[in-house]
Amino acid sequence: MTPSILVVGERLSGHLTSATREAVGVALALAGPEGSVVGFLAGSSLDRSVTEFGELGVTRIRTREDPRLDAAGAGAIAVSVVASAEAVSASVIVTGGTEFGRDLTGRLAVRWSAAVANGVTEATWADAGGLRVLRPVYGGRATETRRLTGSRIAIAIRPHAFAEPTAGAAVAIAEPDAGPEIPDPLLAARRTEVAAAGVSAGPALSDASIVVSGGRGVRDANGFRLVEALADSLGAAVGASRAVTDAGWRPSSFQVGQTGKAVSPQLYIAVGISGAIQHIVGMVSSRVIVAVNNDSSAPIFRVADYGIVGDLFQIVPALTKEIRRVRGLPAG
Amino acid sequence: MEIAVLIKPVPEAETRLRARTDGTQLDAEGVKFVLAGYDESAIEQALLLREATPGSKVRALAFGPAPRTEEVLRAALALGVDEVTWVESPAEGADDPGVVARALAFALARVPHELLLGGKQAGDDEEGLVTAAIAESLGIADFGSVVNLRVDSASGSLTFQRATEEGVESWTAPLPCAIALQQAWNDPRTAKLPNILKSRKMPIAKIPWAEVSAALGEAARPRSVAERFELPPARTGAKMIEYKSPEEAAETIVRLLREEAKVFP
Amino acid sequence: MPDFSLTPEQESLRDLARKFARTEMAPHAAECDKAGRFPEEIYRRGWELGLMNLNVPTEYGGSGLSVMDQCLIVEELAQGCGGMTTSIIANCLALEPIILGGTAEQRAQWLTPFCAEYHLASFCLTEPGGGSDAGALKTRARKEGDHYVLDGEKCFITNAPHASLYTVFATIDPQLGHKGITAFIVPRDTPGVAPGKDEDKMGHRASSTSTVHFEGVRVPVANRLGAEGEGFLMAMRTLDQTRTPIGALATGIGQAALDHAAKYALGRRSFGKPIAEHQAIQIKLANMVQSIRAARLLTWQAAVTIDRGERGSLESAIAKCYASDAAMHVADDAIQIFGGYGYMKEYPVEKLLRDAKLTQIYEGANEIQRIVISKELLRAYA
Ligand SMILES: Cc1cc2nc3c(=O)[nH]c(=O)nc-3n(C[C@H](O)[C@H](O)[C@H](O)COP(=O)(O)OP(=O)(O)OC[C@H]3O[C@@H](n4cnc5c(N)ncnc54)[C@H](O)[C@@H]3O)c2cc1C
Ligand SMILES: Cc1cc2nc3c(=O)[nH]c(=O)nc-3n(C[C@H](O)[C@H](O)[C@H](O)COP(=O)(O)OP(=O)(O)OC[C@H]3O[C@@H](n4cnc5c(N)ncnc54)[C@H](O)[C@@H]3O)c2cc1C
Repeated sequence: MTPSILVVGERLSGHLTSATREAVGVALALAGPEGSVVGFLAGSSLDRSVTEFGELGVTRIRTREDPRLDAAGAGAIAVSVVASAEAVSASVIVTGGTEFGRDLTGRLAVRWSAAVANGVTEATWADAGGLRVLRPVYGGRATETRRLTGSRIAIAIRPHAFAEPTAGAAVAIAEPDAGPEIPDPLLAARRTEVAAAGVSAGPALSDASIVVSGGRGVRDANGFRLVEALADSLGAAVGASRAVTDAGWRPSSFQVGQTGKAVSPQLYIAVGISGAIQHIVGMVSSRVIVAVNNDSSAPIFRVADYGIVGDLFQIVPALTKEIRRVRGLPAG
Repeated sequence: MEIAVLIKPVPEAETRLRARTDGTQLDAEGVKFVLAGYDESAIEQALLLREATPGSKVRALAFGPAPRTEEVLRAALALGVDEVTWVESPAEGADDPGVVARALAFALARVPHELLLGGKQAGDDEEGLVTAAIAESLGIADFGSVVNLRVDSASGSLTFQRATEEGVESWTAPLPCAIALQQAWNDPRTAKLPNILKSRKMPIAKIPWAEVSAALGEAARPRSVAERFELPPARTGAKMIEYKSPEEAAETIVRLLREEAKVFP
Repeated sequence: MPDFSLTPEQESLRDLARKFARTEMAPHAAECDKAGRFPEEIYRRGWELGLMNLNVPTEYGGSGLSVMDQCLIVEELAQGCGGMTTSIIANCLALEPIILGGTAEQRAQWLTPFCAEYHLASFCLTEPGGGSDAGALKTRARKEGDHYVLDGEKCFITNAPHASLYTVFATIDPQLGHKGITAFIVPRDTPGVAPGKDEDKMGHRASSTSTVHFEGVRVPVANRLGAEGEGFLMAMRTLDQTRTPIGALATGIGQAALDHAAKYALGRRSFGKPIAEHQAIQIKLANMVQSIRAARLLTWQAAVTIDRGERGSLESAIAKCYASDAAMHVADDAIQIFGGYGYMKEYPVEKLLRDAKLTQIYEGANEIQRIVISKELLRAYA
């Protein structure tokens, strides 16, 4: 089998997004040595991103030069995507799991009559034919395996579920694609403004998808700042054990536990918290729990998925730094 | 304005999830289904627009099996939706997003819809692509993760914002148009007791699956198969990170979170 | 009955009450309990949603619910906060004499405003000199022309400081015993009506309870409910209607105690395992479930009997008495399962015990319920 896979490129400030880079990785893996991966770009000033596709090992890029598509909805872009997919006889279209990507996949379900899935964390060819995908469902409380059948499949992958490819540089060739005319109703909407996402006060504790909590191990109110810096690097909400709120290092609204707030984020990081039952009942339903504690017998490690035994004053700053690095944030 | 809202029955948040004995899907036996939180936001938005634009009507549509689908439609009526349509689902393949979208698009031929509203995603399967797929069927534009939706009464067009990876985008879009709303930026109302009682006696328009499948033909065929539904294994104690320096510990944990646990945004 | 399944309509009523209890009552329960605060904003919101005046017929704008439906709602509310529930359902108690004994004009005049706007009403039967022996009440009603003049004092009156209307039971002649008791509708703003200060209570601290003084209170004859001397029967028939929902209230408190205890038992460890794996705890939990389920079934049975049009004095007495005793021992067991934590106010279970206690006392103390029950029993064998 020599599958042809189309990767829909998305750009942010003129560069391919990390979501697209991850999508390229997925596509390359699916194509294998026999198959081919083709990039797709729409909008204006596409050259730089054509080159970037090449750097990831994708050498053939269908381009639709049309300034109207710089700020168009997925509906308008889907028209060209389908035309390009047909032109290269693609059987799979992969996009990053961004707002746009998820939207596009929905459009392709009908426009391309594709079998579709969003939020994909694993994708492999199925012996029975088609693509087998794994996706977390119910807020990460379960996973679903689906087999997407037929010769037209479109998936949006889950952000950061896949590594970016490291393929060496290659020269990419743009193949301009005139494509069909885009129906007016799909272009009638206008984007009037884009405001950079402001620095927010951080999400509310009870519904944050990531929570970083600190305990007595931080030693004093000042030490708790390490916890907050880590939370900041993740865009996470900040929590605390009762030892912290009782000591007045932080207000009681931070308290997680039996008599504080119950949280169930995707990721809970417990820093310098021993794991008393009163604390655990408030966070045990988190999907993934990481604990940092210098006592290897601390009960928190019984409920954690990942444990780091060590001095939080060393581990936490290193972790904050690493996260800022991988998330492309300026060093704090 | 004619507003159509897409709604879906989903298991109550505190449901204990369990797989069917064949392991392919959620076991729905004894599960209580409710209106999805995102859909409550969508209904709230529709009702606010109706209040702001006299002469408007809000209609809700849902695709799914009895009795849960009827129940969420009644919940919508109790909240103040004017009319509701139940599109019956087939016994198999009802979870295929393409099938859902096509069936609802078929039903929308009978339901006036200048503005089509949906939730961002359903909270169960989290596909979040049905609104876009329906919009494609109808040949109209769609926008996801929308907040602050307003109708400009002078021009009759919509203004709204979207929170995307790029930041907060402001848009204007003419009708007709499909919008998938972000949850929780409006505070959905709670149905009042007398309205709950009234909703029990209101009619529900039903479109049987036989009619949908006859009309759609080949397009009504599911294009995906549910193979497995799994719950995460019980915790057996933490995987301890081995390291020589704090930096190494940090790198390892970040890598594991991304690649193994797949939680890291 | 005996098909115990609920209709979809009943499920949706229960869902509404559950949502209100969880999202609007429970988050404030501990704070109101601690401060003894009467959270009027929550009651107002409950009114907006139609959770007050459940028994008022629809023609006056009420919900006109069956006793069964009321019980489903009250059990859910009680899981949010027992005290708030007492205050929310006090209108049902206060307005029931008007529903049962009012003329068409009286009902239209006095029931409609409660459904059109948020108002509270209080049921004034108990007096400092005695509650159980209602036939011996002392508050006097003297007829003067087209008015009655009321003098006396009522005590332990729910919502009295906040109510705009009182249904008052007074005697036209103490010599007549219960045959002299007559019911009156008394607006709060009538000169001579004076509610006392809020009592400091053991439980139900989000509810408000006080005395009400009546001094030379002139009430038009048109405000008399039924004929002179019909008041006692009206009070008893009112309590026959409202006693069953108290069974539901107690069931709700017990259910809340069980929920807390079971969750805690799974998490708390001793001797190397969760305490839920110790048989002594398992047996406690099993007994708790049985009591609560029995309480619920007895309550439903009483409700269905009354909804069939029977008086249901026996069934409602059994339900209220059994459910309140069950709530008491289940809350007690819950505290025991929590150990020392259960004794701390920071945890929710000690409040449940304090709240459960009232259900054995008000709307007819359990001793009185047992007298009623045994009288009925012996009559069948005599
Ligand atoms: C009625 C009642 C209700 C309660 N409710 C709650 C509640 O809701 N929430 C709650 O959290 N607690 C609650 N508690 C308190 C609970 O029992 C514990 O006392 C509390 O959780 C302990 O907080 P901690 O883990 O931060 O402190 P500790 O138990 O003191 O743990 C501190 C941890 O930090 C580690 N540490 C110290 N220094 C370092 C370092 N340099 N690097 C790494 N690790 C370090 C230690 O090894 C230790 O494990 C309640 C208690 C009672 C009695
Ligand atoms: C928080 C609260 C709210 C209340 N709300 C209201 C309200 O809104 N309206 C209202 O009218 N009343 C209300 N009550 C009053 C309540 O109904 C009475 O307290 C109750 O009926 C008991 O009356 P009592 O307190 O006078 O006790 P008593 O009648 O003095 O009884 C004392 C004890 O003796 C027992 N006893 C009495 N007679 C007998 C007997 N013959 N045989 C065996 N034992 C007997 C009783 O069971 C009790 O254990 C409320 C009370 C409380 C505490």
